[in-house]
Amino acid sequence: MYQCKDIAEEVNNYIEGDLPLGKRIGLFIHFIMCSCCRNYLQQIRSTISIVTTSQPKEKDGTNLKDLAKQLQDACNEHEH
Amino acid sequence: MKKSSNSQFEDEQLLIKQLIDGDAAAFEYVVAEYHNIMLSIARAIVGDAFADEVVQEAWISAIKSLAKFEGRSKLKTWLLHIVSNGAKSRVRRENRMSSLDEGWESVPSDKFDQTGHRIDNVYTWEEATPEALLANEQLQTIIEETFQQLPALQRAALTMYDMEGIKMDEICNILDVSASNVRVLLHRARTTLHHSIEQYQDNK
Repeated sequence: MYQCKDIAEEVNNYIEGDLPLGKRIGLFIHFIMCSCCRNYLQQIRSTISIVTTSQPKEKDGTNLKDLAKQLQDACNEHEH
Repeated sequence: MKKSSNSQFEDEQLLIKQLIDGDAAAFEYVVAEYHNIMLSIARAIVGDAFADEVVQEAWISAIKSLAKFEGRSKLKTWLLHIVSNGAKSRVRRENRMSSLDEGWESVPSDKFDQTGHRIDNVYTWEEATPEALLANEQLQTIIEETFQQLPALQRAALTMYDMEGIKMDEICNILDVSASNVRVLLHRARTTLHHSIEQYQDNK
């Protein structure tokens, strides 16, 4: 019998379908019985959607225009 | 979710030809599109101290090899492998490794009783769609800040899997970690981000 703590540990593997069938069914039964864990599953799904939509980036001080120019120059030098 | 792409450069073969021809706009496009994820991978493998240098070297190496690029993989995948290989060589030279457990705190145990049942109630979040939630600037900032605080390996796994849609086996090759470890990284990154969003929801 799976507990809420097991859900917290396995929720991402459940979402990704990376669990053996027996465990998947066990967790599914827990979701049927536990509204907190159903809501938690929904929250984790929302978290993934929010992060995917938000697209946070690495902090980076690189001047991308300068880098592009530098690479363009390197390419031209290499070609000639 | 795929990023919106510039339709002018959707044809990859044409883009590569433009790069070989030294087209300025093509260079600006590839740098804007791929520099950040290349940096993410370098930081995950070799750490902050050498990442910028590794990415710089990867770019130069890629540009010089462009004529040999046969298009058997996507340009992005090819670039990510170049930076990954460069970072791995650097790791061997510098003899340093990123730890999988760096910066990880497990789910707080005070959320469960002794039998493993939740003590607190979990409610559905108010706004249903990510777009509605993200309309709030404060939440956007929280996500950005939480993301920056994640260990580099977690950021790289999350970026590649959830944001760029790169396949699991490809991520394993790039980061040189097993699929089960990528899943651990994803779980930890998502759990940390969930905690931050949950706190924001609770404090509203």
